[in-house]
Amino acid sequence: MALDRRVGFFEGLKYKGGGPMLAWILHRISGLGMIVFISLHVVASFFTQEMGSDWAISINIVYESVIFQLFIVFSVLYHGINGIRIIILDLWPRMLRYQKEMTWLQWLVVIPIYGLTIYIMIQRMITGE
Amino acid sequence: MKVKLKIFRYDPENDKKPHYDKFVVEAEPTDRILDLLEWIKDYQDGTISYRRSCAHGVCGSDAMRINGVNRLACKVLVKDVGTKVTVQPILGLPIEKDLIVDMEPFFDSYKSVMPYFVGGEENPQKEQLQSPEDRERFDDTTKCILCAACTTSCPSFWANGEYVGPAAMVNAHRFIFDSRDQAAAERLKVLNDQYGVYRCHTIFNCTDACPREIQVTQAIGDLKKAIATSRLD
Repeated sequence: MALDRRVGFFEGLKYKGGGPMLAWILHRISGLGMIVFISLHVVASFFTQEMGSDWAISINIVYESVIFQLFIVFSVLYHGINGIRIIILDLWPRMLRYQKEMTWLQWLVVIPIYGLTIYIMIQRMITGE
Repeated sequence: MKVKLKIFRYDPENDKKPHYDKFVVEAEPTDRILDLLEWIKDYQDGTISYRRSCAHGVCGSDAMRINGVNRLACKVLVKDVGTKVTVQPILGLPIEKDLIVDMEPFFDSYKSVMPYFVGGEENPQKEQLQSPEDRERFDDTTKCILCAACTTSCPSFWANGEYVGPAAMVNAHRFIFDSRDQAAAERLKVLNDQYGVYRCHTIFNCTDACPREIQVTQAIGDLKKAIATSRLD
């Protein structure tokens, strides 16, 4: 009997698709990250109104933590810029020939903006502004 | 040089689960991975199973995952992959034995897009001429050898086997953009479906995997645009 065609999650991740596949995976992860952030925000607001502030504070601690904020800033930035790349490729299929160059260009935009954001965040943390 | 090969094995008559066997083969840097498989089959383990036919990158029989990425074993040289090589079957199709997969679902998708010329007249009395520019429009997609390397590298296909897949779309492109063909609308109708072009998320694994260097994602992009605009220009 032939083995089932199903491809496991981790088996799929092991496929060495390179930069473009990484972009596709990061687009999903960053999308999920934003959903988690907005959901936590909504739940925290709900708890503040309905159950007092203690519940809300405990949730706020999660999404206001430095690590979560670094993650969410990356998610918003990456998801947005990668989305623009995909829209350009969808609207002008001839550009698909230059998809590798566009992926590099995308990183050239993401990395400086993200670096600058991290710099400002850390600076404000240190100075306590 | 000695090359260590780790090969996926599954014998439906004897194995409950797949496993890997290891082999060491003496090879030249310019040997192909197919040469190593042939050596193993001839001199070390005759039970190892894989497809091969022309061995020159034309028939498309020997698509497999070589070090984690879809390639034709007859086109990959040892010097390109190093001395540690892992060989696995392509993903997303039922595994019959070792590196052999059941290609029927792949060909069913291929057949669904009417991969043949549909002319206008029933009994044409002369050739249907075409300008070099019109021929150029679909030149890239005429090169497909149906090896399935593109379709089985696609995560959308892994997730849902009903997705028509890159190879079928490449072959649809070949006829849809042929100025002499009369069945573009029917093919586009097949592709304008939940299992059609919109399952392509521009991951580009297909373009990278294609041994004929067809711009697969661009062909799918052309089809998306044709469906969205109802125009073939």
